Amino acid sequence: MDTAFAERRRRDLIVAFVLAAVAATVPLFVKDSYLQNMMVLTLMWGALSQSWNILSGYCGQISLGHALYFGLGAYTTTLLFTKFGVLPWFGMLGGGVISALIAMALGYPCFRLRGHYFVIATIVIAEIGLLLFHNWDWAGAAMGIEIPVRGDSWLKFQFPRSKLPYFYFALALACVAWFVTWWLEDSKWGYWWRAVKDNPEAAESLGVVVFNSKMGAAAVSAFLVAVGGSFYAQFVSYIDPESVMGFQFSLLMALPAVLGGIGTLWGPMLGAVILIPLTELTRSYVGGSGKGIDLIVYGGLIIAISLARPQGLIGLFSVKNFTGLFSPKGKEAVR
Amino acid sequence: MTTPLLETRGVWQRFGGLIANSDVSISVGRGEIVGLIGPNGAGKSTLFNLIAGVLPPTQGSIIFDGEDVTALPAAERCQRGVGRTFQVVKSFESMTVIDNVIVGALVRTTVMRDARRKAHQVLEFCGLGPRANVLASDLVPSEKRRLEVARALATEPKLLLLDEVLTGLTPVEAKTGVELVRKVRDTGITVLMVEHVMEIVMPLVDRAIVLDLGKVLVEGKPADVVRDPKVITAYLGDRHAVGA
Repeated sequence: MDTAFAERRRRDLIVAFVLAAVAATVPLFVKDSYLQNMMVLTLMWGALSQSWNILSGYCGQISLGHALYFGLGAYTTTLLFTKFGVLPWFGMLGGGVISALIAMALGYPCFRLRGHYFVIATIVIAEIGLLLFHNWDWAGAAMGIEIPVRGDSWLKFQFPRSKLPYFYFALALACVAWFVTWWLEDSKWGYWWRAVKDNPEAAESLGVVVFNSKMGAAAVSAFLVAVGGSFYAQFVSYIDPESVMGFQFSLLMALPAVLGGIGTLWGPMLGAVILIPLTELTRSYVGGSGKGIDLIVYGGLIIAISLARPQGLIGLFSVKNFTGLFSPKGKEAVR
Repeated sequence: MTTPLLETRGVWQRFGGLIANSDVSISVGRGEIVGLIGPNGAGKSTLFNLIAGVLPPTQGSIIFDGEDVTALPAAERCQRGVGRTFQVVKSFESMTVIDNVIVGALVRTTVMRDARRKAHQVLEFCGLGPRANVLASDLVPSEKRRLEVARALATEPKLLLLDEVLTGLTPVEAKTGVELVRKVRDTGITVLMVEHVMEIVMPLVDRAIVLDLGKVLVEGKPADVVRDPKVITAYLGDRHAVGA
């Protein structure tokens, strides 16, 4: 039985590697800049949702305020670069660390709340962050900040003429977020988180320090989301409070995971691959007049999913269904 | 004289105006199976929660393995060697049986391979081996009870607190349960169990402690306890105590 488990873990890793390799070759065939843009966004939202999934999916602390960490990442990188000339690469790490610390500082009071109260607290706190940045003159206030772009540079991580570097960075980010999840899944933390989600009282009786588990999940999750936010700021090279910290970002991080399968390894990526192109396409086909149509699509999808497959789409791809494809011995892995 | 494994000294627990435990002092020796019995509302579950560390007592202290653990939270008591089951089973429903047990095993090791091996051993010991890869939510009630025990055993406890693990089982299931408790004790683990079903508990335990209205009423050998007029009165009322 143990070998079956190890085999499944290894298979996940191989599948991920193959998918990443295939994804890496796509831009060689798809030169269209609109489509490339869409792929960058898909990978980015996949990575973000994967990170959100660590706190909300595995540990069960549903956050609808992750836009805060996204925005913090974006602002940290941008402010450090425009005000102090610090390279975005350091800004990225700095933003990650700051977000992780803030996530823990906020978790300290908030993780005493349960269920809906916790969700409401996350929404409110993110809104407070948004308002603060709206009124913070040094950080550009409502006007936002433009990142000065002077030609292609890996050092400054800006590429006005090509989407390719962004694509590969987003791909790397998605791989890192996936791999961190894969790695944590079979670690003490992974088991603790799932135990905390299912039944905190029982977890506590088994030696799980529930509070610390939540803090750990929040820190990892916020760090990765902030790196995503830093990347996004570089990608769009202009940020203002609404465009990096608005409530819709919190939703956009949650939806792919919910659609694909919350608390699963593959759910967030699967969800992003379906959801992001769908919205981008609706947006471009319906055009300017259809503002909000993409959100209607989201809403419709979520309703359909929660009615038909509350466990997410990933269940359709379960090992059970694919056993024969990957390995003849896989059947024991399931049951 | 060896020190007892567990001692409660003058423990009180008040919930507002309600006194759930008043001045409870009990002790459990190493290697014993002790039954904690008493009518509904006697304060058994409260005492259990105080020992497990779910809540701190209003007054009094709890000594475990020679150390005062009164101020320690549940997770830390587990690390010191207190394992427990819940009266209303609290399985991790979205996890498989083996994963449930691994959570417990991780108290003693952070090496996943070791935790997994330990979990498999414990599942075999509890007769759940064939169900290892089933979701906990798919277990039948008697299996869920055994999973509770398995999970607690995986934490390698010195003291195992069993909260009504034999209640509501069929006679056959209860018999297997009794055998499991004996087997647990034979591995050197001390057992303190709350139980309702007298005819099952009495032959199993070395000593019985009867709680009534939050106080220790009687304690002693099971055979003596069931004949004690005070116990009969507590369970059946004054009229039946005429035998005294």
